Order: sequence, then structure tokens, then C-alpha cells
Amino acid sequence: MSRKKIFAAVAAASLLALTGCGANAGASNSAAAAGDFPKKGKSIDLIVAFSSGGAVDTAARLIQPVLEKELGTNVEVINKPGAGGQIGYTALTSAKPDGYTLGATGSPSVVVSPLDPARGAKYTRDSFQPLGRQVIDPTVIAVQPDSPYQTLKELLEAVKAKPKSLTASTTGIQTGEHFALAQIQESTGSEFAPVHFSEGASQATTAFLGKHVDVLVANVSDVNDLSKQGKARVLGVMSGDRAPSLPDIPTFKESGYDLTAGTARGYSAPAGLPADVAKKLEAAIEKAIEDPAVVQKMKDLGLQTSYLNGTDYQKFWAGQEDDFKKVLPLVQKKD
Amino acid sequence: METLNELLGGFATAMTWQNLLFAFLGCLLGTIIGVLPGVGPVAGVALLIPLTLNLDPAGSIIMLCAIFYGTQYGGTITSVLLNTPGEASSAITTIDGYAMTKMGRAGAALTLAAVGSFIGGTIATAGLVAAARPLGEMGLLVGPPEFFALMVVGISLLVALAGKSMVKALVSGALGLLISMVGIDPVAGAPRFTFGIDNLMDGVSFVAVIVGVFGLSEILSFRRNEPTPVVHAPGFRQLFPSRTEWRRSAPAMARGTGVGFGLGLIPGMTGSVSSLLSYATEKRFSRFRHELGKGAVEGVAGPETANNAHANAALIPLFTLGIPASPTIAVLMGAFLQQGLTPGPSLFTEHSEIAWAIIASLFIGNVLLLLLNVPLVGLWTSILRVPTPILTAVILVFMVIGAYTINFSVFDVYVMIGFGLLGLALRNLDIPLAPMVLTLVLGPLMERSLRESLEISQGDFTVFTSRPISAVLIGLGLLIICSPLLKLRKPKALMEDPEA
Repeated sequence: MSRKKIFAAVAAASLLALTGCGANAGASNSAAAAGDFPKKGKSIDLIVAFSSGGAVDTAARLIQPVLEKELGTNVEVINKPGAGGQIGYTALTSAKPDGYTLGATGSPSVVVSPLDPARGAKYTRDSFQPLGRQVIDPTVIAVQPDSPYQTLKELLEAVKAKPKSLTASTTGIQTGEHFALAQIQESTGSEFAPVHFSEGASQATTAFLGKHVDVLVANVSDVNDLSKQGKARVLGVMSGDRAPSLPDIPTFKESGYDLTAGTARGYSAPAGLPADVAKKLEAAIEKAIEDPAVVQKMKDLGLQTSYLNGTDYQKFWAGQEDDFKKVLPLVQKKD
Repeated sequence: METLNELLGGFATAMTWQNLLFAFLGCLLGTIIGVLPGVGPVAGVALLIPLTLNLDPAGSIIMLCAIFYGTQYGGTITSVLLNTPGEASSAITTIDGYAMTKMGRAGAALTLAAVGSFIGGTIATAGLVAAARPLGEMGLLVGPPEFFALMVVGISLLVALAGKSMVKALVSGALGLLISMVGIDPVAGAPRFTFGIDNLMDGVSFVAVIVGVFGLSEILSFRRNEPTPVVHAPGFRQLFPSRTEWRRSAPAMARGTGVGFGLGLIPGMTGSVSSLLSYATEKRFSRFRHELGKGAVEGVAGPETANNAHANAALIPLFTLGIPASPTIAVLMGAFLQQGLTPGPSLFTEHSEIAWAIIASLFIGNVLLLLLNVPLVGLWTSILRVPTPILTAVILVFMVIGAYTINFSVFDVYVMIGFGLLGLALRNLDIPLAPMVLTLVLGPLMERSLRESLEISQGDFTVFTSRPISAVLIGLGLLIICSPLLKLRKPKALMEDPEA
């Protein structure tokens, strides 16, 4: 018994010591003294609605130390994954709007989950107060390296002639990829047979590499490596300009299809923040997103930083909502 | 030869005293976290990622891999001693592990688990070094239809897990399937069986269920007037397996390595599938299968070897293709990314020194874990010297903490308590628990792969029989299901298996 006690004490002490070393206790005074936010020693929770290790989580953990420095208090990243982000978003929007709870918000998940009544979300777009957009990760379409289709036009024409003749991966029902396929179908009449890999991009990529699906629909960051190794032939990027990491790949617009789609990620608070708190948070988030080291690390991950302030992020969000509402019937399961 | 040189270079990097210290600390921390029920490898690694962020890339990944190993083993400790699985992949170990503890063989069980883990892990890592690329490509052959066919084989092993009564085993299996259906329907994206409770959107937490069904129900079943079960704290001599136990464990470890390694290569398989199927394999093929469930060493050695072989084999798709094959590996991958390393083939071209140092440290981690845990077996088993009433109270506290820390939600604590009561009811009705755990794990994987397969074939069921690999597997599954019928000469062979 006594041996056990001693052991437990040592274990506890070493754990404490280690977490102490890991925590960033260095508070700086760069935060201006607007009001008394944040209170010394009161930590800010940053809710990530996806599991640790994913793209949303990685981005949040990259900005976390800079936020701590700017705000002069601890910022804790808390993962509440599940239900396509719905659990985490519910937690965020039901928190007090006092600035001590923030969340990473990624579209389409945050935009789409309230649109479909079947999902029973308890929040709408108005429940969030957007503070800043960090990245935009456009959707791409890729085919097998030995595929006969050399251009986007060839591919879409072939599918238009024979609807559902090719399978295309998504990361689940009503995800960004699924919406992108719906947008393509709506504007060009080319209908793919979607295969939903609800586990996420890695499962979709695996199935594509194993040639179990014909077409990979994914984000730029998912295909950078595959494209380099010649394991996928990327045919088009659904963004306004070419992606910096894929300079040789034409945009959809260049191929004659005026379509954009992609994942956008940013940070929001529950609606109703006091103005001075919002201002302070927005400034800190901008600093963190634009921090050169953070931008470089994002770039290493194949992600292009594309900052928008709170107001512009809100407009962007509303625009995405309109796009999605248009094609929503196409991505709802018909009973 | 070149590979060997690079590996030796990796060892040189990994053997610096700092990196050895990181590996050691990782093993220790991981073991401690693993001992807490509920905090499995995923949560453990995720919790400790922030600690490693300030280290250099090699050191941080080495430490995380060691944490990953440690959590795996820590989970085994509580499974064996306290009948409370620390994580999903050691759930099935509780059956024979705890039975061994009741017989005073706790030390032997823990030692066998440690040795098995070491063997499984080391062989799988050797596989990673020897033939990473072809093995990684092999994993890709398994598409959704093949995956589904594999699951059919897995479910067919329910036959082997049946105790005296096939009907009761099927009831248990059906219950597991039913529970696994709770959550968002993968086909329509709509919630099903959630009764409007947000917490159920993602289904019932598997670990909370097994902690309840195995651990809590055991405690609840101590009746007031019955003497509490005597759990012997083993003397020093009994800490280590006897010669017979070693001899019997060897084939189980060999089979466990095979099962774990094979399944670990397949993206989307979780370690718990490996340990379950290894247990089912022992039930089916071991010479001493009639003893399984009553404290047979095979029931510990097989699954424990399998889950470590699986954990290490799962790194092969990560290193060769950049694909995280399991949730834990996905967390590790996140750590790689935060260090500016992109896992995949480019890792070996752009950061080959780090890549080989990590692989070397996997070997070292396996050895450290063995060195750390075998001497500690005595310490762990001394827990059993605590008087039963106090021990029971401590276990209860552990279970609550464990269930809470899965998602940091009180809801999971209620789930655990609810399933504790269910487990009690099942025990009283003499319904075996193993089939339920099997279907609970395999159910969602089966449903998902079935759905994906039919989307690929656009509704055509022949997709399962027209592809060679999946056709063979489906045939195998049918063979296993029908095997009791084929044994008409010895009709009692399977049906008279003692209770699982």
C-alpha cells in the first residue's frame, strides 16, 4: 500500500511538472488595456469541432501560442468532435458570449448543418459572431494517373453523355465535396455517382489510390503530395485563381466553368460579444493568423492563408450559405 | 543493405541520451495514462501532444510513439487486475486476464502480455523496415467490398464465441449490433435512435460501454450475502509464467502476430478488431480452446500480441502512403504535421534522417516497454493486496473518471452506469458478453463498408462475389458459419464448449 502511495505521488508530481513545462506561462503585455478582458489567470477555451490531428485542429494549435502571447492569458484548445462538427458548434453557440469561449468554424460544416431540418441543429448562422477567416482550401477534381481524360472538359463531357458512369469520392453526405459535385451537376449537367467516405479525406484518398473509385474530389491540401508523386492527375481547381501549390493546374473558370467551391476555416465566438471584447479578440486573431511562422507552417501543409476580418468573414459566410441553399435539394437523401 | 545502413543511422540518432529519455518518459507517461480506464491511446496521445511541441521533431515524434505504446500496455494492466478495460483494444483481455487474476496468476498474465506486446510490436516493425512499400500497396487492394467481406469473416467467428447456447450468443451479438446503430445514419446523414439527445449523435461511446458491461457489472454482481471473490495477490514466485504457460502462449502469440499484422495494414481497421479476432481465432483453433474464458493464457497472449502487432503495422500505410490507418495514427499524423513533417513517401526523401530515427525508436520503444513493465509487474500486482472493499471503491472512482475523460462529458458516465446494469442483467441470464463486444466493434465498420461498396457498384450486390479477394473471404466466412454442421461426426465438438 505504502509503495503504491509513493508511486502514485511520484507519478502525479511528474505529470504536474511536465504539464507545467508544457503550458505557456509567459504572458506579455502587448495586449492593450481595453476593459479588463481577459482577466489574468482566466483561460480562454478554443473549441475545435473535429478530432485532434485533423486540418482544423492543426491550424487552431498553430495559432494558439500566438493568441496566448497577444491576449496575455492561457488559450486551451478543446476537441469536441462528432456529428460532422455539430456537437462542437452546439457547444460553442450555447456558451456565454463573454469572450472566454471561442471556436474554430469551418465551412461547409458550420454553414450546412443548420440548413437541413433533418439534422436538428440548435443554431443558425446568426448564433455565431465571426472574428476572422484563416484559410481557404479550394476543392479539386483528380482522376487516376492512367485515366483517358486529360482535361476537365473531356471528363465532364464524358460524364454528361453517360450519367453516373464514373464514381467520385466525397467525405460524406452534405460535405464540401458533395456540394461541389452538386454544383457541377447543376451547372453542367454532368452527374457523377457519389461514394461517401464518411470517415474523411484519408479514407477517400485510400480508396482512390486503390482504384476503388474513379474520381477523387478533395481539397488542394489533400492532393499536393499525390500530385507530386504522380499518383493522381489533378484536372481542375475550383477557385478564382490558381492554387499556389499547384501552379500548373487550371481553374474551373479557365476551363470554361464558372464555379468555385472549397473549404474555408476561421474563428468565431457565440453571438453577442461586448464590442470592446470583440475588437480585442479580432485583433489578436488577425495577429495570430498573419504571424509569419504560422503562415509558413500552413504553407508547408499546402494551405494558403487568406485572412478576412470579422465583417468580411461574415459576408463570405452568408454568400456560401446562399450557394449551398441553391443546391441543397441535390444533396438531400430522397426518401 | 542500404536500408540496414539507414536504419543503423536511425539508431545512432535515436540512441542519444535525450531521445532515450524522451522514449522512456513517453513509455512511463503512456503507461500511467493507460492505467486510467477510458483514456485510451487516442486521448492519451492527444492530451500529451502539447507537451511535445517544444521538442525537436525527432524527439517529439519518438516521445509520442512511446506514449502510444505505453497507453496500449497500461490499458492491459487494468484489464487484467481490475476487470476494467483501459481501452478498447484490451477489452477482450479482461475475460481471461481477470480470470487468471482470480486464480492468483495476475503476474503471469501481465508478464505474458508484456512479452507478447514486445514480440508483436517488434516483428511488425521489422516488417516495416523489410518491406514497407509492397506491404503498403497490399493494403490498398482492400477496397470497401473486400473490407466488408473481411467483416463477414469476423462476424462469422461469433460461432466460435458461442458458449453453451448458440441462441444466447446470437442474442448478445444482435444487442451489440443494435447498440452500434445508434448515432448518425451514414446513409442518410440523419440521426437514428438518438431520441433527440445531442450526445447520442455520434453513437454510444464504445469504451464507456465496455467499462460498464465488463467492469461495473462485475462489481454490481457481488451480492451482499456472498463472500466477495477472493483475488490472490501473488507471491514473488508466481509473478512469472510457468514453463507450461510459456509453452502454451507461444503458438497464441504467433497467431496473434499474424492476425494483428495483417489487419494493421488495412486502412480503417482499428486495434480492437485485431484483438477481438485474435481472441476468436484462439477460441476456434487453439488446442486448449475449451479452457478459454476460464483463465487460459491464450486469451491474454493472443489478443495482447495482436494489438501491438496491429499498432506497429498500422504505421506502414502512414509511412508509405501518408494514410492514417486508425484514429490513434491520425493523431500521430497531426503531430507530424505540426512539426512540419508530412508523412508519406516524401518523408523518406526529404527528412530521411528523422524517418529512420523514428523507426529505430519504435524498436527501442518496444524494448523499453518490456524493461519498464516486467520489473513493475510486482508493483502493479501489489494493488491486489488492498482489501477488497477499498479496492472496489477505488475501481468505481476510476471507472467514473475513465468514462468522463473519454470526451470530457458526464453523459458517458451515465452510459457506463446504464450498461453496467445491462451487463448485470445479461450475467444473470447467462448470456455471454463476448459476442456483444464483437458486433459492437464490427457493426459500424461492416455497415460503412457495405454502404460504400453498394455506392461504388450503384446498388449491385454482385460486387462482393465478382471480385476475387472478397469472393474468397465471403466463402471463408460461410465455411466458418457452416463448420459446426460439417462436423456431424462430432456434433458436440463446438456446442459443448464451456461458457465463453
